[in-house]
Amino acid sequence: MAKNIFYIVSIFVLIIIAGFIFLKGGAVQENTNIQPGIIQGETQKVVLSQEDLNYKDVIVKNGQPILLSADGSVNGCLRSVVFNIEGRRYSKYLRTTEDTLQLPALKKGTYTFSCSMGMGYGKLIVE
Amino acid sequence: MSVKQFVKEFHNGGVEGELVKTVFVSIVTSFVLLAILYFLKLRYIENFIPKYGFFLFFAILSYSLILLSVKHVRAYKEFACMSGMMIGMTIGTISGLLPAFFIGSTNGMFVGITFGAVTGIFFGAWNGKCCGIMGVMEGIMAGFMGGLMGAMTALMTFNDNLRATGVIVFIISALILFGLNYMIYKEARETEMQRKHKDDEFFTIFWSFLLTAITIWLMVFGPRSVLFQ
Repeated sequence: MAKNIFYIVSIFVLIIIAGFIFLKGGAVQENTNIQPGIIQGETQKVVLSQEDLNYKDVIVKNGQPILLSADGSVNGCLRSVVFNIEGRRYSKYLRTTEDTLQLPALKKGTYTFSCSMGMGYGKLIVE
Repeated sequence: MSVKQFVKEFHNGGVEGELVKTVFVSIVTSFVLLAILYFLKLRYIENFIPKYGFFLFFAILSYSLILLSVKHVRAYKEFACMSGMMIGMTIGTISGLLPAFFIGSTNGMFVGITFGAVTGIFFGAWNGKCCGIMGVMEGIMAGFMGGLMGAMTALMTFNDNLRATGVIVFIISALILFGLNYMIYKEARETEMQRKHKDDEFFTIFWSFLLTAITIWLMVFGPRSVLFQ
């Protein structure tokens, strides 16, 4: 009996110590909507639209912050857009065509994004 | 044979008394492996703990609970058809759902589904075997579905409190496994079942090591879906 009490206590101690180590860091991937003050330079506006069950690819310029919105062709879960850029998550439910998601200035490359359910995908091509 | 009596059995010897030690050995094995790998290699990976720590922590706890149930079933070996089906279904579902959820959270749907379904089917069929083909079939079906569901839930909640969902999924799964262990205990006492098999702690160490090693490798170096690249 004393042995089992030792095991039970040890399990709790281990969980607390490991929990302290592994859970203290918090998430790198937070839902992030950039504050206006952080944005520098001219913002480029991009309107997403839907093609079949995915987003149409969009092309933007590098080094300029992006203001993203979705037109009326985007339906269902595709209105909830998720970007996972270098470990940071940018997401917003674009309920109406006026709702916008702000992204930082990006380097050249292709960034894949999806709807929040991972059902529809699209590419943001930065030139 | 109340739940109270079942909990009291944890303090005694016998099959149920050994279960606490199983959880302890499993957690120690997994965390020691993780600590060694961390100091050798993983600490050089940028944001390792913030990115993967949460999911690895809960994956390790999940494996300890799954192995506890597996060991409990193996101690008695043979059950009636109905109980065997319940065992296959429960272990299959939980051992598919939890790994799939935590790996799906870091690697996406494909890797989550694949790993979750493989572990779910394997543990489900292996433990469902205690009552014959019905338990095996139930284990395979439940493991497959658990794998699919776990990864899908992770991706669907990716943008909506993924970590909180992970905690809820883990707590509910732990309660279900507790219920299964109680059912096995009750069944064994009511039918005056005798212990038929005894696994030593190497069994727990081996499976904890294997599952944790694969999970770490998949999370850190494994393939990812486009959203996670």
